[in-house]
Amino acid sequence: MGFDLSILAKHVPFLLEGLWLTTVVCLGALAGSIVLGIVVAACRTAASPLARRLSAIYVDVFRNIPFIVQLFFFYFGLPEVGIYIEAAPTGIIALSIAGGAYTSDVIRAGILAIEPGILEAAEVSGLTRRKIFTKVILPIALRTSIRPLGAVCVNLVLTSSVLSTITLNELTGSAKIVAAETFRPFEVYAALLVAYACLTYAVSGLFGAVHRHVNRHTAGEVA
Amino acid sequence: MLSVNGLCKSFGTHKVLDGVNLTLNPGEVVSVLGASGSGKSTLIRCINGLEKFEAGAITVDGFDVAKPKELAEARRRSATVFQQFNLYPHMTAVENIALAPVEVLKRPKAEVIAEARALLDRVGLAHRADAYPAQLSGGQRQRVGICRALAMQPRYLLLDEVTSALDPEMTAEVLDILKVLATTGTTMLFVTHEIAFARSISHRIVFLEKGELIADMPTADFFSERGRSLPRVAQFLSKLQGEAL
Repeated sequence: MGFDLSILAKHVPFLLEGLWLTTVVCLGALAGSIVLGIVVAACRTAASPLARRLSAIYVDVFRNIPFIVQLFFFYFGLPEVGIYIEAAPTGIIALSIAGGAYTSDVIRAGILAIEPGILEAAEVSGLTRRKIFTKVILPIALRTSIRPLGAVCVNLVLTSSVLSTITLNELTGSAKIVAAETFRPFEVYAALLVAYACLTYAVSGLFGAVHRHVNRHTAGEVA
Repeated sequence: MLSVNGLCKSFGTHKVLDGVNLTLNPGEVVSVLGASGSGKSTLIRCINGLEKFEAGAITVDGFDVAKPKELAEARRRSATVFQQFNLYPHMTAVENIALAPVEVLKRPKAEVIAEARALLDRVGLAHRADAYPAQLSGGQRQRVGICRALAMQPRYLLLDEVTSALDPEMTAEVLDILKVLATTGTTMLFVTHEIAFARSISHRIVFLEKGELIADMPTADFFSERGRSLPRVAQFLSKLQGEAL
């Protein structure tokens, strides 16, 4: 029994469906984790000690628990107390929360890297704290954060494969089904390896392009 | 009137300002001279509320800088130009200038933008209106910084060593603009090392020495026998004899 990729041909549409689900889930989780990351980064750099403390706890907790455990808690644990969420939304929510811990760190680093003088200029001009955050701090921090956010996004794509354990037939889940149907795990998983490598490579490239685009006027100042 | 009374400020055990008294009346140009570390910049940073101080009072047209509720009003009356320009790197020159008038003064955006372009035109930068700070030279950045301050139509313009980060040619670009502002009645508190220039535009000179304000006199007096009768001032000026005073 040699290496024969042609046996996969008739399963390609099914695998593409899985790829599509992976894409949708990752895009949702990326959006969720960026929004969450912005809020948490704002809290971590806030004046209020309580906001700083609580947000730091969130980051520590979710970075120190295996993702699969978080996922099982949401999917198998919460229904016990009457909260039932379907697999796909559960996957997006769990990935967003786990990813948010990392994105908040990235954005917080972007905030802390802003020259204090720039913030002082905004402050003495009479802008409110909220306006300073939305008009000055956030736009600058997000621009410097794009590349590291790309790394977080790559991790989201890789981690999304774990969602196959909660009946979500994304790319890895679909591949498992095809492998079981065809009894050709070698070919199926070889194709899966290549698919993930291509996917994450594309994500990195995309983030690199976005980084270059939004920082085209500040070249030299923002590496 | 901008008034500073008995201002004391320390960083840890180091006294940076020690009982400083100063008044700035509308229309006046007052230069603050003194060696590096004499507290000149800290004085400006206390006036615009960036530094808290232990003792004394600062009021801007009667609004007390130390009272959180009055600080906003006090700040609305002054504008600061910084040594390091501190432009917003993600905004064009025009956007840098228009941000505060739109967001703080709540003025219509189109009107503010037109005014920002007119200001840039006044400082010879009409053609750079849509450039980002990273695309501008130091002198150009500081001219944008001055426009950004002027756009708030401040009653008091605070200038914190605005040419110290510039080479002589760029310094001249910026000083030319300040000269025009001084002669057109802009009230300025001018912290500087440009002694000759300070002499040419100021109504009064104040001299800080280790946090104490040891001289406050009309410009002509400061550079004559009256100023030189103070040993520290005489010493400070004697080091500058190479420069055309």
